[in-house]
Amino acid sequence: MGFFDALLGKRKVAPPAAKDRLFAMSTAHIAMDVDGLRARGRAGIVFQSLGTADFSRVVQEMEEVLHGTGEETGTTVSSQDDSFGYRWMILEDPDVEDLVVGVHAVNDALAIAGYGDRTLAAVFAYEDGSQPLYWIYNIKRGSWYPFVPAGGEQARSNERELQLKARYGGDLPIEPELERWFPLWGVPL
Amino acid sequence: MRPTSFGKDTGLQARMLLTMFLLGAVYVVFMGVLFAAGASGVIIAVVAGGLVFLQLFASEAIGLRAMGAREVSPQEAPELHAMIERLCLQADLPKPKVAVAYTDMPNAFAMGRSKKHATVCATTGIMDLLTPAELEGVMAHELAHIANRDVMIMTLASFFASVASMILQFGFMFGGGHSDDDDGPGFLAVIMVSLAVYVISFFLMQALSRYREFAADRGAAVLTGRPSALASALMKISGGMDRIPQKDLRASSEMAAFYIFPPGTKSAIGSLFSTHPPMDKRIDALMRLEGQLQGTR
Repeated sequence: MGFFDALLGKRKVAPPAAKDRLFAMSTAHIAMDVDGLRARGRAGIVFQSLGTADFSRVVQEMEEVLHGTGEETGTTVSSQDDSFGYRWMILEDPDVEDLVVGVHAVNDALAIAGYGDRTLAAVFAYEDGSQPLYWIYNIKRGSWYPFVPAGGEQARSNERELQLKARYGGDLPIEPELERWFPLWGVPL
Repeated sequence: MRPTSFGKDTGLQARMLLTMFLLGAVYVVFMGVLFAAGASGVIIAVVAGGLVFLQLFASEAIGLRAMGAREVSPQEAPELHAMIERLCLQADLPKPKVAVAYTDMPNAFAMGRSKKHATVCATTGIMDLLTPAELEGVMAHELAHIANRDVMIMTLASFFASVASMILQFGFMFGGGHSDDDDGPGFLAVIMVSLAVYVISFFLMQALSRYREFAADRGAAVLTGRPSALASALMKISGGMDRIPQKDLRASSEMAAFYIFPPGTKSAIGSLFSTHPPMDKRIDALMRLEGQLQGTR
């Protein structure tokens, strides 16, 4: 944000970052699999849903396109609203690379329709032993960070997250500012 | 590829620029007079500068203290934290500290000199009163203040006003005691100019503050994409929910249904003094944004 934006009032939402960093997951998951971090075959992309006719139409069209391509790749698609009023597009496919392509397709469809600034994050569900673990892709910043919910209400295991950062920092572009490792509670994945 | 969901608000930006320009012009004249009157003004300016910096760095603590607010952990206020986290993700802001004031008065405010040193605070009253979507609008408004660096801009804008007020105080304390041997008339002139600077910049700063509220409303609408939710929150906070009645038309008596409240006694003079624009104007502006949003394409 520039000087004049600060002076005159910010008037834009941050647009998505370059998209190629999302694709880092298509190779990183191989290293994770070797270490026993299993992909659960589910990924989601979360965005604000606007209450306009145009936006609903864009989302509906996108869902139809995904259903169409899903028949070839075997990816199934569903959508769900969470308690914060955000919409989740949930993709299911045992192949992580197909999930990455699907998430990219959703992101792209929203961007082409002019709603790229409404997307929040993409989430990939993993399993660490029997514990759930999520890799969150911050779409605005084009960076990844781990999110490990611990037992209990809104508790997360920072220790494990930092371990994951150290382990996979070479494979994924990890968000350098720890204060931006925003949790997403109640991920429907 | 379509641009963004909202167009620019050129009128608002032009007015804000004009206000800032006038404020700057007043200060330039003031500095000229200070230099013409002698070096003593520089010392005062340095002291006032120190005060302004103190204000800048202590504003967070002072604001929280004044509201009786306390910083809360994610465990204490999970919903509020999660809401702010999502908005920060959307706005690409680092997460501010989150505080809660335990009072029934519905209110919220943001403090902080920079994006990295900021606090947003909500009262328990506002959290009880508003629905999640409305509260999200209010929090987005406060985050927009942080993104727009409002505390810093208002503090800097007040710099010369504080110089002027200090000169006035010095003038009344020491000016009378001095015998008019050497610089009597010059000193009097500086006091008069200081008084004028103080008065003019007071009004300009109030105007600037009002424009920044509009800018933050707009920022909130852009951030959440729900101008109507913020408008509804503003109506609730101002107690104006009566405007959209809950009572069935048939249930109210014939006359009451057609009764129109007399317009408020606030005159144009009164609105010169207020730091916040009238609620109606803010809601009107938000409704224009909602219109833009619904009408895009």
